Amino acid sequence: MKKNYYLKIWWMLTAATSQITFQSRFGAVLFLLGKIFRFAFFFFFLVALITKTKTIAGYSFWQIVFFYATFNLLDTLPQFFFRNVYRFRQYVVTGYFDNLLMKPLPALFYPLFGGSDMLDIIILFASVGMIIFSAVHLPVITVGQSLIYFLLLANGFLIAAAFHIFVLSIGILTTAVDNTVMLYRDLTQMGRVPIEVYQEPLRGLITFLVPVGIMMTFPSKAMLGLLSAQGIFIALIVGLGLFLLSLRFWRYALQNYTSASR
Amino acid sequence: MMNKYFFVIRNTWEEVATYRFNFAMWRFRNVLQLLTVYYLWLVVTPVNGSIFGYSQSLILTYVLGTAFLSSIVLATRTQEIGENINTGELSKFLIRPFNYFGYWFARDVGDKASNIAFAIFELSFLYFILKPSVFIQTDLATWFFFGLAVGFAVVLNFLIGCLLGMVGFWSSDFWAPRFIFFNLVAFLSGGMFPLDIFPKAVVGFLQSLPFAYFLYFPIEIYLGKLSAEQIFAGFLTALLWVVALLFITKIVWVKGLKLYSAQGN
Repeated sequence: MKKNYYLKIWWMLTAATSQITFQSRFGAVLFLLGKIFRFAFFFFFLVALITKTKTIAGYSFWQIVFFYATFNLLDTLPQFFFRNVYRFRQYVVTGYFDNLLMKPLPALFYPLFGGSDMLDIIILFASVGMIIFSAVHLPVITVGQSLIYFLLLANGFLIAAAFHIFVLSIGILTTAVDNTVMLYRDLTQMGRVPIEVYQEPLRGLITFLVPVGIMMTFPSKAMLGLLSAQGIFIALIVGLGLFLLSLRFWRYALQNYTSASR
Repeated sequence: MMNKYFFVIRNTWEEVATYRFNFAMWRFRNVLQLLTVYYLWLVVTPVNGSIFGYSQSLILTYVLGTAFLSSIVLATRTQEIGENINTGELSKFLIRPFNYFGYWFARDVGDKASNIAFAIFELSFLYFILKPSVFIQTDLATWFFFGLAVGFAVVLNFLIGCLLGMVGFWSSDFWAPRFIFFNLVAFLSGGMFPLDIFPKAVVGFLQSLPFAYFLYFPIEIYLGKLSAEQIFAGFLTALLWVVALLFITKIVWVKGLKLYSAQGN
């Protein structure tokens, strides 16, 4: 019952946000084209590169395509669900957040899920299609590897959620959202290629300290059978730990919310 | 006469200094983007061989060079023009005793100066940490043509930026065209890879677009990869684009002003 209640609210908010998005079809089409260009251009670049070199950091053509498609799925899915984070600063500086706190919803619900971006759906479908198509061309994949892949995808989404909750919390404490969320985007962009591309100590930093590697490349490595049981365990611990930490930080931020606005 | 534009440049510089945390974050993000491209090229280029006709030294110079050039060419404030029109702020500018585009060009210069200062610091730091082997051009004539190409790139980006801002005369959706422009520039300007990694027909098409003259053309001149004929053809195409864009900008400005209703807050 409760689950349906949240789902219904999410759907209503998404429908309302979509109406705003499609109010200007011109803008919606251009934004969509921009997203498609970004997706396609980097893919063409990787294809041009690997056609010449045969491998990148030891990975074959279809493995690189699989990495890139998985990255896009894990990059776009949080953007689709957590789009309202990008609007959160306005809610804080205008005082609208006070209004949100009075609604019969958890305080985190609207800032996080208050309106998904329907323009991302095309990229989501393209990513899923590319994942399936490239997976078919990979060497033997077992059911176990596939299950661990899905588990680590969910774990990657959990890490993304944690990052977005951190951004919202920082937004409450400092009213700065844009830079932190874009910093998150740029950090995760480093996962467009397998983490082995980077040299130490950068590789270690973006694997464990800022877990871009765990989030973006561990699922693909698990699918290729290149991740140890220890690696899977660490990934899940980091994912769960970050998520719980982000919730604590959110509570701390809420307790320090001063309701100061213009 | 020039003094007022100098003050605009100085004010823009001071504006950046006021919001220095935001600016530092923006620059840090640029470094992250650079690192992905840098390491990707490093890993695919053989130490003593070459890829797409680029040795490791040339390709790393290309990557670091375009990163530096981006701070000169792509740094702009013209994105504020659309907002300026939509909020009615433009009215104030129309009665002020200076050229509207001169004002924005001066804003651009101030913004570029701040970006260049940071880029020098970042790239020096990265050079110290990564210790890449880079190619140093010693021919003075090549330096001259490189400088000229950068000048063309700055003007081209400014004119396109103004045109995108003037979308605000017709629509409040002035961010959407700019979003698509950012994505086109990110790839088609050669910021991520040299355009000549693609087949010849594709390269020919890309070189007929203005984006190729933002980063790819200047840096290829610097690397000494272009013949005299190619340099001449490149400058001619860039010049044609500048003239065409100047003409279009003027028409759009006149038509836009006729529509402008000073609506806003």
